[in-house]
Amino acid sequence: MKYLLSAFAFTASVLAGCSGLKAYSDTSVKNLNVHTRTDSGSFLSSTRASLDIYGVNNTCQTAYQGTVILDKETRTIGLPAERPSYLVFRFESSSFLANSSGATNYDTLFTPLPGRHYDVDVRYIDGIYSVTILERITGDRKAYRIAPVELKDC
Amino acid sequence: MQYRIILATVLTSGLFAGCAINHPQTAAEFRAAAPGATFGKKESFVVDRQFDDVARTFGEQAPKCLEMRVKMTESGHMHHHVVVTKYTPTVWVSDDSAELHLQFEHEQGVMAVSEMPENGYYLMVADASRLADNKTQIDMYRPSMGYDTIVRAVKGWATGDNIGCPDLTK
Repeated sequence: MKYLLSAFAFTASVLAGCSGLKAYSDTSVKNLNVHTRTDSGSFLSSTRASLDIYGVNNTCQTAYQGTVILDKETRTIGLPAERPSYLVFRFESSSFLANSSGATNYDTLFTPLPGRHYDVDVRYIDGIYSVTILERITGDRKAYRIAPVELKDC
Repeated sequence: MQYRIILATVLTSGLFAGCAINHPQTAAEFRAAAPGATFGKKESFVVDRQFDDVARTFGEQAPKCLEMRVKMTESGHMHHHVVVTKYTPTVWVSDDSAELHLQFEHEQGVMAVSEMPENGYYLMVADASRLADNKTQIDMYRPSMGYDTIVRAVKGWATGDNIGCPDLTK
């Protein structure tokens, strides 16, 4: 999985109001529970998590669908079943004293199946981040871990 | 930010190798140089975890978490400095030992002043060795300052306590 990480001094260069982000519009069936925990590790800095969602067509081209700000402990999202989505979890950190900010991404292709629910555990604790996707069949207490899939493997 | 750019410049300029002009060209040379280097150290510990699990975690997490490019920008009133760094991890596993090598090269913003090995200068080498009683010996050859998140992440992969990825912008 290739990532491109960017760090920018001076917050304005990153958090420009014309960033082009739009709120993601859910599908009717909400099948993804995103549980988020962030802790920058310092009171002089903060970390914000968000999820960019892209649709993926049959030639593996992506189309931006919208962003969900992961500012609540749990967010419930609807993704189209049986169609691949490209999920980009973004962790943006900013330091108050240094007047700087940086961002790192975790991305994966993901195709929800009908009749199943998914729990996503998103963590950024003091510079260490992880994203874990668990699949649950409705009515079944077992959960199965979904391995990340790179976009190039589409 | 500025600190990371300065540190990256220092590491590239040869000071990591004990103020010598030449950088280690192999993992073996890096192991020999790091403990006595100005900004290097060796750290050894034993984890209460089977070697096979440690080796598997190195193999799974290193390419996922460390094979990256990091772009760092610092700008002010009259300056704008961009550094692009490519990190390349390599994991070698044999029956009783595993090695995680992390190398880096600056693709933009920092000039290389000494011969660079294939895949970049060595930043860290972590060796895992099988011990009795389901324990594993870990020997890390690493920078003594900076890169704290990478060091903590690799320790987490060894202990199994925290299997996450380091934020390389930190």
